[in-house]
Amino acid sequence: MQETRHSFREALKQLEVQALGGLDLVITALDRALEAVSYQDVELAGMVVADDDLIDGRYLEVHQGILSLLALQTPVATDLRIVAALLHVIRCIERMGDQCVNIAKLVPLSGYESPKDKDILDAIERMGQLARSQLSQAKEAFASRNVGLAQDLVRQDTEINRLNREIFRRAVEIGDDVDTREWAMFMILVARCLERVGDNTVDIAEQVVFVVTGLFREFADASHPA
Amino acid sequence: MISRDTTSKEATDMSTAGGPSEQKDAKDEAPDTSAIGVREGEGHAIQVKGLKAFYGKQEAIRGVDIVFPPNEVTAIIGPSGCGKSTMVRCINRMHEEIPGAHAEGSVTLDDLDVYGAGVDVTSVRRLIGMVFQKPNPFPTMSIFDNVAAGLKLTGTKSENLRETVHRSLRAVGLWGEVKNRLNEPGMGLSGGQQQRLCIARTIAVEPEVILMDEPCSALDPVATLKVEELIDELKERYTIVIVTHNMQQAARVSNTTVFMLDGELVEHAPTQEIFTRPKDERTERYVTGKFG
Amino acid sequence: MSLTAIPPISARRRRTDKVMRGSLFAATIIALIPLVLVIYYLLYKGFSSWSSKFFTTDPNGNFLGYPGGARSAILGTLEIVGLATLISVPIGIAVALYLTEYGRQSLPANIVRYFIDVMTGVPSIVFGLFIYIVLVLGKVGGTGFAGWKGAVAVSLLMLPVVTRSSEVVLLLVPASLREAALALGAQRWRVVTRIVLPTARTGLVTGSLLAVARGMGETAPLLFTTAGAFALTGNLNSQMNALPLQIYNDILSPRAEVVNRAWGAALTLVAMVLILNLIARAISRRSSLA
Repeated sequence: MQETRHSFREALKQLEVQALGGLDLVITALDRALEAVSYQDVELAGMVVADDDLIDGRYLEVHQGILSLLALQTPVATDLRIVAALLHVIRCIERMGDQCVNIAKLVPLSGYESPKDKDILDAIERMGQLARSQLSQAKEAFASRNVGLAQDLVRQDTEINRLNREIFRRAVEIGDDVDTREWAMFMILVARCLERVGDNTVDIAEQVVFVVTGLFREFADASHPA
Repeated sequence: MISRDTTSKEATDMSTAGGPSEQKDAKDEAPDTSAIGVREGEGHAIQVKGLKAFYGKQEAIRGVDIVFPPNEVTAIIGPSGCGKSTMVRCINRMHEEIPGAHAEGSVTLDDLDVYGAGVDVTSVRRLIGMVFQKPNPFPTMSIFDNVAAGLKLTGTKSENLRETVHRSLRAVGLWGEVKNRLNEPGMGLSGGQQQRLCIARTIAVEPEVILMDEPCSALDPVATLKVEELIDELKERYTIVIVTHNMQQAARVSNTTVFMLDGELVEHAPTQEIFTRPKDERTERYVTGKFG
Repeated sequence: MSLTAIPPISARRRRTDKVMRGSLFAATIIALIPLVLVIYYLLYKGFSSWSSKFFTTDPNGNFLGYPGGARSAILGTLEIVGLATLISVPIGIAVALYLTEYGRQSLPANIVRYFIDVMTGVPSIVFGLFIYIVLVLGKVGGTGFAGWKGAVAVSLLMLPVVTRSSEVVLLLVPASLREAALALGAQRWRVVTRIVLPTARTGLVTGSLLAVARGMGETAPLLFTTAGAFALTGNLNSQMNALPLQIYNDILSPRAEVVNRAWGAALTLVAMVLILNLIARAISRRSSLA
């Protein structure tokens, strides 16, 4: 005989897979957006913007699924916490998608010439790698309900925030060339988008802890010093 | 017999009203517990220590300690056979009415030891009232007599019987629906009304605690919600313990929830915690439906 | 969309069905025939002797002329059975209450139940003989045969019937009502008098009426205890007349008028039992409509 509430469990699992799958979509968008920035690829940037519809679509699907589950199955205890967390997570995913779009939109604006400053570019690249790894780790942490992994995301986020400040400092000291300065300012904006992505993954990490312990605690990070 | 729904046109008989607050609306009357009158004193708590209950040789409750806080609704949930009904029946000593059944341990209502030597069991039951799963108004009695039955059966002299009956009916929100037919048989009411009549009968003797054993199981959803509303009002005046197999009802109605399994108390916590983050694995499994 | 074909009923099944119905019908007819015949005979033979004199005069024992009516017999039956009812119904209901409320399935209660069942099977003549030996021979109360001794014998007969039917009715009172009353803090005896008995009232009444109807028709116990007399008397401490006794005495008489009187008495007795049954039914129907 099947376990009780079999179809409910299936539906909940499906919903989680759908929601976490959104993180994969974000990873793709982020990779593409950063490549577009590095190589000034306007076409690629355009694709990122267009494909954001996929992420928005995923948000709507998951949202609908959550409403259904709440209305029809009255989940309680852990199940309820999972559903509430998924709602939060999918919002974060949607926002991260928007950040990638913001990055992509900055590409044509920063001019068709090659980028000007190697340091800044390296830093951006480094930030991108960190963000990417944060995204994977957030997905893994949620799927496996790993609190340790979730808490580790704060460490990586601290690094991203540090890089963000460094890029800003570099841009301020970039020199007198107007074009370079303009490019650097756009890079500041890109860095800010990446920093936002990092913050969102920390939000997801907080949800992991909520699901496991039932308690919601804001992680100590750059914006909330311990 | 179908009860007629009394929609508004009623002659308010002020001579029989008597209570301080008279509500005029017949159809959806909100229960008016203030009509019961001012009672001095704080709420009353029940403390259970080391309770064991037996049906012959079989142990149905294996040693339970619990406190039911005053003026709160405590729900007891658990699968069939876990001992929840047995538990409440031990509180008002109805358990001993079953041949071969006995209980050990202590149950105290404030300072009164319910099982004390020399304690009159009928006095205990006057202080601790009970509402049953299937509404059971007395078939040979009218609505009025049903509510008065508790007083008449216990030989309690009530200065103004009529006053008390009317107050009780108002307190359960039945007054508007039945005030013009108090002499009609109690069985002529609908299921939900009958159950509220039984509740009126219980509170007419002015207990301190009300025990409810699955009071809404036999009622339709609308009647159920009315009774739940009533429970919410009644807790201002009484301490209420409700046994229910409907978890959503426990969630809606109670302040504290107790989960029992196989005669043992597994978890006892504020309702919100039990349903958002239960501490015990077994509780989690039960409320999420993961058993089996 | 195809319809499921249901095979038609076979001819053999139809035949079997007809045979069964036919034989049940035949059995019913066979059972009804004696009943119808009895009623027919009663009416045919007895109705003619019904007259105002029949109901207003006593049997006069004369060898010639009008032999008298059956007034003393009718009134005697009413008195004796009335007294028997007063004895057996309260005691019977009390025993039933003991069995359902207090004794329940305990050993003493089961023993009592067993004895009651045995009593229903005891032939009525045995009760008569018992009372004869204990009360009549011993001249208890100052007399030999007496109406009240007949009443005692009839009450012994009625007692198990009252108890049995009362127990059934009391058990039908839902346990939830007793529970509700107990939970209100009522003592057990109050639960019994205020809740159980009123709820069972109509059933108890019908059960008792049926016991009375039974008691009315018994001859044997009266033979040895009341013995019969012709004169009308209200004195239960003396010999009295009763309808069964009257019939017993009259039916073997060589005189046709006397035999007629016997039939008239029989018809009267049946009529009284019938009326009691109708009253019992009317009461139970009224209660089920409520």
